[in-house]
Amino acid sequence: MPDAAGSRMQAVLDCAGNERYTLPSGLEVLVRPMPGYAAAHVIAAARFGSIDLRFALAGREVDLPAGAAHYLEHKMFEDQAGDAFARFARTGANANAFTSFDRTCYYFTATSAVDESLDVLLDMLTHPYFTDETVEKERGIIAQEIKMYADSPDWRLITELCQCLYHSHPVRSDIAGSCESIAQITPALLYDCCRAFYAPANLLIAAAGSIDAERVLAACRRAGLDKAPAAPQPVRICAPEPMTLAARQRTVPMAVTKPCFGVGFKEAPLAPGDGRTEALYDLILCCICGGMSPLYRRLYDEGLVNPGFGGEVLRVDGACCILFTGESDDADTVIKLLQEEIEAQRARGVDREVFALCKNEKYGQLIENLECVEDAASQMADFALMGQTVPAQVGMLASLTPEDADAALQTILQPARMARVDILPDGSAAPAPDPEQETED
Amino acid sequence: MERIQLAPGVHLSADPAEKLNRCRVSIHFTFPIRRENATAHALLPLLLERGYAGCPDMTALTKRLAGLYGADLEVDGRAMGARRNLCVSVTGIKSRFALAGEDLAAAYAELALGVAFHPCMDDDGFEAGALAIEKQMLRQSLEDELNDKRLYCARQAARVFFGESPMGIRQEGYLEEVDALTGADVAAAYAEMLRTASIELMVLGCTPAQTERVAAAFLAELAAVRRAPAVLPPFMAMPRQTPVRRSEAFEMEQAKLCMVFTLGRPMELADMAAFRLAMALYGGSVTSRLFLHLRERDHLCYYCASSFQSFTGSMTVSSGIEPADAARAEEAILNELAELCCGPITPDELEDCRRGLIAGLEGVEDSLGGIESWYAMEIIRGGAIATPADARAGLAAVTEGQVRAALRRFSLSVSYLLTRKEGPAHA
Repeated sequence: MPDAAGSRMQAVLDCAGNERYTLPSGLEVLVRPMPGYAAAHVIAAARFGSIDLRFALAGREVDLPAGAAHYLEHKMFEDQAGDAFARFARTGANANAFTSFDRTCYYFTATSAVDESLDVLLDMLTHPYFTDETVEKERGIIAQEIKMYADSPDWRLITELCQCLYHSHPVRSDIAGSCESIAQITPALLYDCCRAFYAPANLLIAAAGSIDAERVLAACRRAGLDKAPAAPQPVRICAPEPMTLAARQRTVPMAVTKPCFGVGFKEAPLAPGDGRTEALYDLILCCICGGMSPLYRRLYDEGLVNPGFGGEVLRVDGACCILFTGESDDADTVIKLLQEEIEAQRARGVDREVFALCKNEKYGQLIENLECVEDAASQMADFALMGQTVPAQVGMLASLTPEDADAALQTILQPARMARVDILPDGSAAPAPDPEQETED
Repeated sequence: MERIQLAPGVHLSADPAEKLNRCRVSIHFTFPIRRENATAHALLPLLLERGYAGCPDMTALTKRLAGLYGADLEVDGRAMGARRNLCVSVTGIKSRFALAGEDLAAAYAELALGVAFHPCMDDDGFEAGALAIEKQMLRQSLEDELNDKRLYCARQAARVFFGESPMGIRQEGYLEEVDALTGADVAAAYAEMLRTASIELMVLGCTPAQTERVAAAFLAELAAVRRAPAVLPPFMAMPRQTPVRRSEAFEMEQAKLCMVFTLGRPMELADMAAFRLAMALYGGSVTSRLFLHLRERDHLCYYCASSFQSFTGSMTVSSGIEPADAARAEEAILNELAELCCGPITPDELEDCRRGLIAGLEGVEDSLGGIESWYAMEIIRGGAIATPADARAGLAAVTEGQVRAALRRFSLSVSYLLTRKEGPAHA
């Protein structure tokens, strides 16, 4: 490698480097000090998400109602003395959490009293407190959250597509569950989830910014997370999922003024840690329908889609699918043109120029995500949960070739494994009269 | 951040932001909005963003940005009371990360200046093909605003609240005017903006030498414009009124409630710190009364948050609620405000809110976005430009009495409810 290029790559590696520790308890800790930054961002991630509906732990099988991981996320903020938000408020930290298909993340950003905020975060994860009363009171709030997402056409498209693509894989269930499923959640069930999924070996801590490894490790020691006896790891149990579709098509009426559509392709699940194939699929999507593709340009110029149209890879343990979603008055034409473009690229290969430019974009995105403390910690945690690192991801990206994409296209995005969902106006959302013109009540 | 005047109504703000990985060149145009050209100004960002004379083709421009490691070109229009701000920006990684040794900062500046000063126009104004496509995009976005119920509810509430006031001129434009817009209409709006706007060139994450070159190129472009900067309209506020209640019903799961309050007279810059703390205490944080009482204690809603708009002297409270609870939620939102105005405020809750705000301000300079949005808002608001450190000192000095005084100035003007078809009508 020439000196100049070598020094540039070194700049990337310097910027992307982090310290990594695995404690005797199995807890993983990643820290990236960022000199000159005022804030620190810390994420504690549990490998427990909405797809964990059935698991084995020490020889016992446990079934969970849909939405259990998300419900637990809400309740982890509460302890015997009150709630963790109040404790974070005392330290000046800004805290929150989210649940996805395969993980639950708790995080805070702080510019002072970082050690105290670390103690609050780790204490809430290690000292859960649930009672019938506190669990019951959360049901109403979570039901409201479920209803809020039910009104979102974008979210409905994803959940309906997953239900078409999968017979039994738990990715079919909404992350927050349903009002019916969360009715089954009890304190005992939440304690079971904690024992299984919040053991140190199932957790990961990623910290970036104005912080160093010694402070994080010291906090882990104070919380007793360093020497905890190795608890048995939960084992996800998934019923075998055939490559056939559960349903080919669905139409959902909603209070929208503009129809929305989605098409999903069921793909073979990726092996754990296979970030390469996922990155390759992303690049293929850029070539097929990204902003540089002839298809996107035609759809845009003809007013068939707006800039919200695009494709994404959804990948979790035991399931992988490629989804295209957008708004259109003529979804039939959009889907026909999309299928034609997939077949054309399958036959002639991806555009070499566009492929190279997409790689350039992804490289820039990796650098961008190392800039602010929140993104830096998130990217570090995301890659670590996948068994990857940022420098390894940069190297892997460089190694991807258009020939890899051509080969992958021979097996993915097959019409026989395509499902379609349409969200159509239900007629209740007729254009309102201009409110300025109405008379006062 | 260093700021210097380059010409009447034209300034350069620069911050080398050495610790950050990216740099950014942005040009802010701030000008008085007129009802006659509001829809043209809604369309203008779409036209500017798709190409410029040096790279007229939208796909070629996207490729050019991808070649610059995914640099981000944005043209955003924002309403700020009776003012509009149009910002052209290009953001991307610094040259030290360029794999082929490119001078990325120079490329970003060339793009930003090209888009801002050399749009694709012919003798009839904006080029007809691009105009037709972007009119269709604007039309679609106006037709489908109901797809996002929260946004729709907020927009409907604002429309009732502002009525015919210049502050209510719609940033998103007017659907019934889109078809008739011509390339000449948009070109006239663009030319007026170039001529009359206050202009701020912001160069972030660049070395002094790079900044100097960007400023020189910018001044060369500006020299071709016959400038006549306009006086910007001052802060305004809607007068107090008897509260107006409106509702619409759809087949939906969760009702949306948006309440708009007015100060009755314009905000004064000196009160900014008190309003910030008042918002954090009332509904702008997880330590606020609306969050702790309506959501956590009473379980009335999944979200309930307040925000303050300094340019219009108004406060908005947005909430997602069970349709049957709409009247109870509105009453509770008003009660919480009344409690803060007249009831006890504990030192702990006030300090929790203050601490959270100060921590947020300490992190402003940790990101390019934080730096840009902080200083752009300070500059557009006018008056002395406060640094985040100044703002922290201001917050530290705010008293409970000042918070109460700020909140006491709000009175409800509009309450807008989107609810389920069979649900109860508005209170």
